[in-house]
Amino acid sequence: MASLYLLIPLGVGVVLAAIGIFFWAAQDGQFDGLDNQSARMPDEEP
Amino acid sequence: MTPRDWSVFDRPGMRAAFATPGGHGCEVLIALDGIHCSACAARAEAAVAGRARDVRVDLAARTLSLRFEPDRTPLSAILRALDEAGLQPQLLANEEPTDRELRQRRLAVARVGVSTICAMQVMMMAWPGYFGIHPEPGIEQLLRWAQLAISIPGVLWAGWPLLAGGLQAVLRRSLDMNVPVALALATAFGASAVRTVLGAGDLYFDSATMFVWFLTLGRYLESRTRAQALGRTRLLAGRRALTALRRDDGGVHAVPIGELRAGDEVVVPPGEASPVDGGLLDSRADLDESLLTGESLPAVRRRDETVLAGAVNLGAAPLAVRTERIGTATMLAQITQLMQHAQDRKPRVQQVADGLAAHFVALVLLLALAGAGWAAAHGADVDRSMAIAIAVLVASCPCALSLAVPAALAAATSRLAGAGVLVANAGALQALARADTVVLDKTGTLTLPGMDLRRIEPRPQQDPARCAAIAAALEAGSRHPLASAFSGKACGMTAVDTEHLPGHGVSGTVEGRRYWLCAPEAAPDGSGEASRGAADEVHIVLHDGTRTLALFAIGARLRPEAQRVVSGLQHRGLAVEVSSGDSQEAVRELCLDLRLTRFSARQQPQQKLRRMQQLREQGRVVLAVGDGLNDAPLLAAADVSAAMPQGAALTQGRADLLLLGDSLAGLPMALDTARATARRIRENLAWAAAYNLVMLPLAVSGHLPPWLAAAGMSLSSLVVVGNAVRGFGSESGPRGPAAAPLPAAAA
Repeated sequence: MASLYLLIPLGVGVVLAAIGIFFWAAQDGQFDGLDNQSARMPDEEP
Repeated sequence: MTPRDWSVFDRPGMRAAFATPGGHGCEVLIALDGIHCSACAARAEAAVAGRARDVRVDLAARTLSLRFEPDRTPLSAILRALDEAGLQPQLLANEEPTDRELRQRRLAVARVGVSTICAMQVMMMAWPGYFGIHPEPGIEQLLRWAQLAISIPGVLWAGWPLLAGGLQAVLRRSLDMNVPVALALATAFGASAVRTVLGAGDLYFDSATMFVWFLTLGRYLESRTRAQALGRTRLLAGRRALTALRRDDGGVHAVPIGELRAGDEVVVPPGEASPVDGGLLDSRADLDESLLTGESLPAVRRRDETVLAGAVNLGAAPLAVRTERIGTATMLAQITQLMQHAQDRKPRVQQVADGLAAHFVALVLLLALAGAGWAAAHGADVDRSMAIAIAVLVASCPCALSLAVPAALAAATSRLAGAGVLVANAGALQALARADTVVLDKTGTLTLPGMDLRRIEPRPQQDPARCAAIAAALEAGSRHPLASAFSGKACGMTAVDTEHLPGHGVSGTVEGRRYWLCAPEAAPDGSGEASRGAADEVHIVLHDGTRTLALFAIGARLRPEAQRVVSGLQHRGLAVEVSSGDSQEAVRELCLDLRLTRFSARQQPQQKLRRMQQLREQGRVVLAVGDGLNDAPLLAAADVSAAMPQGAALTQGRADLLLLGDSLAGLPMALDTARATARRIRENLAWAAAYNLVMLPLAVSGHLPPWLAAAGMSLSSLVVVGNAVRGFGSESGPRGPAAAPLPAAAA
């Protein structure tokens, strides 16, 4: 049980990181025009 | 075609029309007609690389938005680069910054995502409590703190619009649906936070985060429907051209649209949209009017016919157009204005629903207080009383009630706009759904505005086609209504020395011979014969000075879709009636063709009006269809009206629905959509009412835990929104051949 004292705060940290990443992705425009994505092809040039 | 002169866009005065000044540089929206795939999108991005920032390509709308520094990079350089890449750029007028709206949309997506993550994680932390498991006190307290930590972004950030909305309503001293939501969220979160610090008592973090999650999702879905309708308007609005190619003594020059005057000759290059409404100076033009009408088939216009601003030249050669209307006077600008106006107006049923919601909210607040007080009076502890209060607040939130109407109307309006039917008054959709009688005007509504060559009666040894060709050559360029009957029959013949004989017809020389085209009794050699024939026909003869060559019977032309539409309307249970100012015989003949039995002829406007009142006194709900100008009083007196507006009629007319394709074909579809929408509004309202009737007693009596209240209430909102926006296809009933034109405006 003692490991929970480490794992719970770690879990909270991971969740907060996930929230941060999602927020950044949304602000970066990765969810803009979701209808467009089906028309897009993978970039040919790197 | 010579390379375009883009430098006109660098003039300082131009910038105000298209660029939105922002924090850094100017933002512009550019339509790229030459963009089709992701490779094109990459090409567009490469073309502007280094010259602009915040480059965004929208493949679905075929637009590019970017930000540039006018001092460092001239806009003309960006446009030229795009043009050289073959992307056919066209700058869009853009008064509102898309930037702000985009930021809001991104924020809304972020809130949905964050609240989802938080709701799930809080539930995991609360999980032991659901089963009465009590881990050692240290772990239990740690789980409480973890829930609090995750709930802070989940409730306070993701749910901030809800909290702020409730607070604003209270500060305004009004009650709307945000009030109980905010109150429930604040109570649940605040109490739980205090208890976390104290280390004792039940927590409601799970209920609060789940509530925020569902509500945020529902609102996001609803705003997306709205944004789609708005995007359509913006595309329409932006297509207004900002510059025009004017032909003057010195050749063709690009000038800002503001410098154009009526009468100026404007050149429309292939693939570009006309900047003005005006008369065609060339003999023929193939135009794409899909933006204006939703009609995807090319429209053919002939000399002197009107080319509308926004119509794209599909031909291979540039067109010359004589300017008649510019800027806000164009049909395009008027349509846009109408649509924006219609979107701003709240339909009556929604006002009623909003009013009800306010009363309902007051009732809910009282019930929450009463439920908690009653429980406390009967020995419940503070925990239990508060849980009841929260459950009542959450379960009864009239969100579904408030969403029921607008979500359904927005979806219907958007769908109809795509099919070329503009809803100028959203409230009218409900009257349309109830309509059981339709009164149609004849001239210009059931018949086409032009005339039709019905019959050629050649005299012996005359070739009818040749006679028609000679007549067409004589009538070429004439604006007389009868001339339209011969359009397209000239077969390359031209007439010289044409002379119009007022009241008698026209004469001219074709291939070396002199011909007259006139009424039978006005033949030039005096051999006049009395005209005969059906009452709705006009006869004219072609005469070569010595004898009559052929007789032409000309009459109004029934719209090709009229039969289909009339039977489609009858099929949907509507009584169809024709009311016309024309002669008895003409109307009877038309109604025979359409297999209609109810008609009235020789109707003065007052008589039409009286008939309308009569029908309404019989308890009928009447749809009036007219051309929008001559029958304005008729349209105004009906319960709901549809018009096929031509030019100026658009603003003068008071029609609820505008059939933009100059075709009746959209009418059955509009009826289906209106009925489906009315059904959905009824379903939505019934659902919201039934839900509250069931949940409220459960919540007040304490049989509904807060988390279940949150789930139930939010799912109810989702049901309502989902029902409103789901496709119309399956239930639109018998579509028949009168299906609407393809929604080309969204392409």
